[in-house]
Amino acid sequence: MIDVFLAQVQNLEEAASAEAQTLDSAILGEQFYFWTVVLMWLIHAGFMTYEAGVARRKNVMATAMKNILTIAVVTPSFYYFGWWVYNCNQPGLPIGPNSSDFTAAACSGGIPWSDAFGPNLTNNINLIFFLAFLLFSWTAASIMSGALLERVRLSAYLVLAVMLGSVVWILDAAWGWSAGGWMTLRFGFHDAIASAVVHGVAGAFTLGVLFNLGPRIGKFTKEGLARTFRPNNLHITLLGLMLIFTGFYAFYGACLVIASTAFPGWATIYLSPTTLGSITMVITFGFAGGFTGGYFASRGDPFWTVSGGLAGVIGVSAGADVYAPTLAYLISALTAVCAVYAGNWIETKGRVDDVVGAVAVHGVSGFLGIIWVGVFAAGYPTGVNNVDSSMWGQLLGVATFVPLGFLTGWVASYVLKKLNLLRVPPEVEIAGLDTVEYVPDIYLPEVGVVPARLMEPDGTIVDADPLILEEAHELMSGTR
Amino acid sequence: MPAIINSAPDCVTNVEGAKPADDIADFIVQANYQDCAGFMTFGPGSTYGEDGVGAAGAYMVLTWIGIAFMVAVLVAWIVVENRRVIAYAAANALGRGPTDGPPPQPGQTR
Repeated sequence: MIDVFLAQVQNLEEAASAEAQTLDSAILGEQFYFWTVVLMWLIHAGFMTYEAGVARRKNVMATAMKNILTIAVVTPSFYYFGWWVYNCNQPGLPIGPNSSDFTAAACSGGIPWSDAFGPNLTNNINLIFFLAFLLFSWTAASIMSGALLERVRLSAYLVLAVMLGSVVWILDAAWGWSAGGWMTLRFGFHDAIASAVVHGVAGAFTLGVLFNLGPRIGKFTKEGLARTFRPNNLHITLLGLMLIFTGFYAFYGACLVIASTAFPGWATIYLSPTTLGSITMVITFGFAGGFTGGYFASRGDPFWTVSGGLAGVIGVSAGADVYAPTLAYLISALTAVCAVYAGNWIETKGRVDDVVGAVAVHGVSGFLGIIWVGVFAAGYPTGVNNVDSSMWGQLLGVATFVPLGFLTGWVASYVLKKLNLLRVPPEVEIAGLDTVEYVPDIYLPEVGVVPARLMEPDGTIVDADPLILEEAHELMSGTR
Repeated sequence: MPAIINSAPDCVTNVEGAKPADDIADFIVQANYQDCAGFMTFGPGSTYGEDGVGAAGAYMVLTWIGIAFMVAVLVAWIVVENRRVIAYAAANALGRGPTDGPPPQPGQTR
């Protein structure tokens, strides 16, 4: 029966004209990316849920609104100039004869007045491909969001989200996450599913912002030891992470190029061959290894166990097109362990208040991800010039993306800080952002208000309010 | 009913009484669209085989209105929030001593 069916399909395909096959291929590609876009929304539902669970009760609505409004600002800015940045900055640096020819056609399709941005019966791909990239941009901005919780101004965050989502990450993508970027063409830089291109750079940008933003009032003792603000709803946070994970499968799929009527059918963004099944295998083993590494490194801490899964996947994303499952399993476990230790180090030694550990989970894991390719997958030809991936090429990626992310984040937040537009006043922070910006309390009155408590560095649980108020007074009087 | 704004590009012909598609199930392009590949509102329009990427003047104006709106909204966000938080901070200034009571909590007013 199956044989007859397959024979009929083959007959139909042979009868179809080349033109019809091309249209079929284009529409299949359009459908594929459409569904990845739909499923990638789960990443943002997840970020919102995840962060709202981590925030203290007085900041839940402000946290959720920040995530939702990311979409309101990154969408138009990515359309008006983000897509142009990507398409018109390849290769990005003058690296030799004909280097700019590669971009001519793509650049013209990236400007917002291109006729490929509306209904166009000869172009089924441009818009839907743009939309997949747009969802990556939301993701990049959302990575920063959680780290800044509970003291950043909404408007400052939105400005920074535009910077990161529509300029910084997409510029590094033009250089190192395209078939025609200078890093790929010349150095064989290999980051198949955007370990560093999205996550690493967003983490570096976030660190730059955190240096100017400063910690939440009460986060550190006078001696510089870290206190722990307890999440308002940890299981909602874990659910948010699970939603992000589901969306990540679509993120992985959207990172591929589909050409269904031509061999090999699937390719990476560098036009190197791979298959959908192989990258799905890697992400799944990445979660398995990541959860395992996160669990043991954090001694069973639920937040870091689940965050370890994310770190693990980010750690294997750069080589997801070629990794063996066991290699992905082991690398992801190792990456998660590194992320847990990095997160603790950033907080306790670096004294940086990163509320969700974004710098460790995304930044550290993202850059480790591209280094792992240099260690375990050197020699794979990458990009249209077929330059072998190598440790040098990957280290070049680190050397390029860390300053690009960190410095842009630091400068942009420094300007906002100098204008007194970066952080809410202490009175607002103490009262809670919900009280001032939205509604006093999103919970039903019968839920009741329980005095906030926090964990001291030695593990004791104490009332938070007197400590926070005391520190606020010290800050205002300049004695701290 | 006459159009308020006819924003269709020239390649959409608007010939009254033009022959409709023979059969809706055949997905035949309607006669008024038969030469038109790209037909976005206010766009330049493009025909099959043409690599049209230029913008009509009206579409450029529309695009720049969109950009201006986006920038204005961002500025408005900054201004509105700044007023709100500054007003709250002024009205609730931390002039009290640390033992004067806990800070306000969600659902409670001073």
